[in-house]
Amino acid sequence: MTDILKVENVTLQFGGVKAITDISFNVKEGEICAVIGPNGAGKSSMLNVINGVYLPQIGTVTYNGVERRSINPRDAAIAGMARTFQNIALFQGMTVLENIMTGRNLFMKSTWLEQGLNIGRARKEEQQNRLAVEKVIKFLQIESIRKTPVSKLPYGLQKRVELGRALVAEPKILLLDEPMAGMNLEEKADMSCFILEINKEQGITTVMIEHDMGVVMDISDHVVVLDYGKKIGDGSPKEVMANQDVIDAYLGVSH
Amino acid sequence: MIYRETGHFVTNYLKDREIFPLKFDKIIVILGLLFLYLYMPTTSEYMLSAHVIPILAVGLATVGLNILTGLTGQLSLGTAGFMCVGAFGTYNLMLRMPENLMSLPVALLLSGIFAGLVGVIFGLPAIRIKGFYLLVSTLAAQYFVWWFFNSYAWFLNYESSGVVAIAPHMYDYWGLGNLLGVDMQGYPARYLLALTICIGLTYFAKNLLRSNTGRNFMSVRDRDIAASVMGISVPRTKLLAFFVSCFYCGIAGGIYSFLYIGNVDLMIYEIDRSFTILFMLIIGGLGSISGSWLGAIFVYEFPILFTWVGDTIFQGAFNTAVVENVSNMVYGVFIIALLIREPGGFAALWATTKQKLRMWPYPH
Repeated sequence: MTDILKVENVTLQFGGVKAITDISFNVKEGEICAVIGPNGAGKSSMLNVINGVYLPQIGTVTYNGVERRSINPRDAAIAGMARTFQNIALFQGMTVLENIMTGRNLFMKSTWLEQGLNIGRARKEEQQNRLAVEKVIKFLQIESIRKTPVSKLPYGLQKRVELGRALVAEPKILLLDEPMAGMNLEEKADMSCFILEINKEQGITTVMIEHDMGVVMDISDHVVVLDYGKKIGDGSPKEVMANQDVIDAYLGVSH
Repeated sequence: MIYRETGHFVTNYLKDREIFPLKFDKIIVILGLLFLYLYMPTTSEYMLSAHVIPILAVGLATVGLNILTGLTGQLSLGTAGFMCVGAFGTYNLMLRMPENLMSLPVALLLSGIFAGLVGVIFGLPAIRIKGFYLLVSTLAAQYFVWWFFNSYAWFLNYESSGVVAIAPHMYDYWGLGNLLGVDMQGYPARYLLALTICIGLTYFAKNLLRSNTGRNFMSVRDRDIAASVMGISVPRTKLLAFFVSCFYCGIAGGIYSFLYIGNVDLMIYEIDRSFTILFMLIIGGLGSISGSWLGAIFVYEFPILFTWVGDTIFQGAFNTAVVENVSNMVYGVFIIALLIREPGGFAALWATTKQKLRMWPYPH
């Protein structure tokens, strides 16, 4: 399998603080890659570099065979990257349906004038994209809250809606920032099922940041471990579990 | 009960997207349109000139501001300035273009587009700044436009008084007056033009709201980073919001000057008007098109109602100063009360009432 994403020697600094130091790793097409590490290890910053929210000082990100140092988030979306955020970035003033419909915005080709007059292309597009949205709503089992404002939903469901919003854009690669944070066991099980199904059935490469080791070891094909902005482990879940540096980072080491 | 929502099942996505999904609502809308088009023009000239036409003008401006502030979340205090561009644009188009080329509806449309472009120029800072800082930059738009038209007398056709009356021939578009035998400068004709424009533009705004453009606007309002990650161009969306909003304000300005007061007067477009329209928006409800109209009706009618109460019950005890001050106090109280109890304004109150009635008489 080819590498869909290659991160090479990326260094990201905020003033004097080095968030990421010289990190390289590859993500193969069709795999679930988990990025783990203690708090402040630079995991979220890494995702932000990959889809262009942050601009690294050194290093390149090769996505789909195109090497670049930075990418505009919009271009990243057009190139088929979709993501969720650690602390839910749903559009709070909109309903579930509207939120997920927003994920289809790149498929809407009609101009605002057509949409304002509600003629021809605009009308048709709205229906066709609604069909795609309804498929995702059905897949995530959130039919009953379709028209509920997102702000009124419990946390677990909001996470699910956010996954739906990313998924409906038909991405090639899905970046999930802590999809299971703050969930109970059942919700985690549901979410794991969704992620596995997205990966195995639809073949979408997934990069996820996750703290629950049980989930990470169970569902990921490939684990990258970061600590203090440096990469300390990279390999299959088994290899990483046996890695002494990783054990030290998680359990501490006597000096 | 005639009005009920039960038994209404949508069977396709087109029906699910309708503005008025219920049959009863549709009947009400048709009756309402019949009332507005057939009955209203036959009411008194006072009714049209002092109540309905000005409400149409300021209500349209409120809808415009709503697109910018309520939907896209970009604060603006330049509303009256953009109305001013619309009013002066309409006047100068009518004055300077050959008479057979230009007619009032076309001039309104063109000056709306012109106001939209001016709005885009003053909206450019919105790409980099937001919130109160943007408010200051739109305030600059308000003062700049006012200063500009005040400084260059050419725009007022060198009228030294600062107020220029609109020539009667400017109202006679497409020879409709002769054709139908109607006085086109009369209030019924003016009213019908204003009403048609307002209904058309309200429908346009509602369509934008329920389509991709509206969702883009709201996504920029709610979370601009998430919006850009999903492929929405945030700068383009903001500028489009400025264009559409100022287009509405421009046309509202044209309607205000041409169809309501019948002259072009710079004094009308001072900063107070921007604030009044902002009050209408907040009281009516940010982000709701029908709320904008409710807010406009309330804020415009309140002083009139108050004066009427004073005249009939208290034998004219309230002079204009009292009315003005009390009105401002009432708006203030309403805004504070609404912001605390119901930030969605009248529109949200209406929705809550509907929800309560649905449950009535059971509380849950």
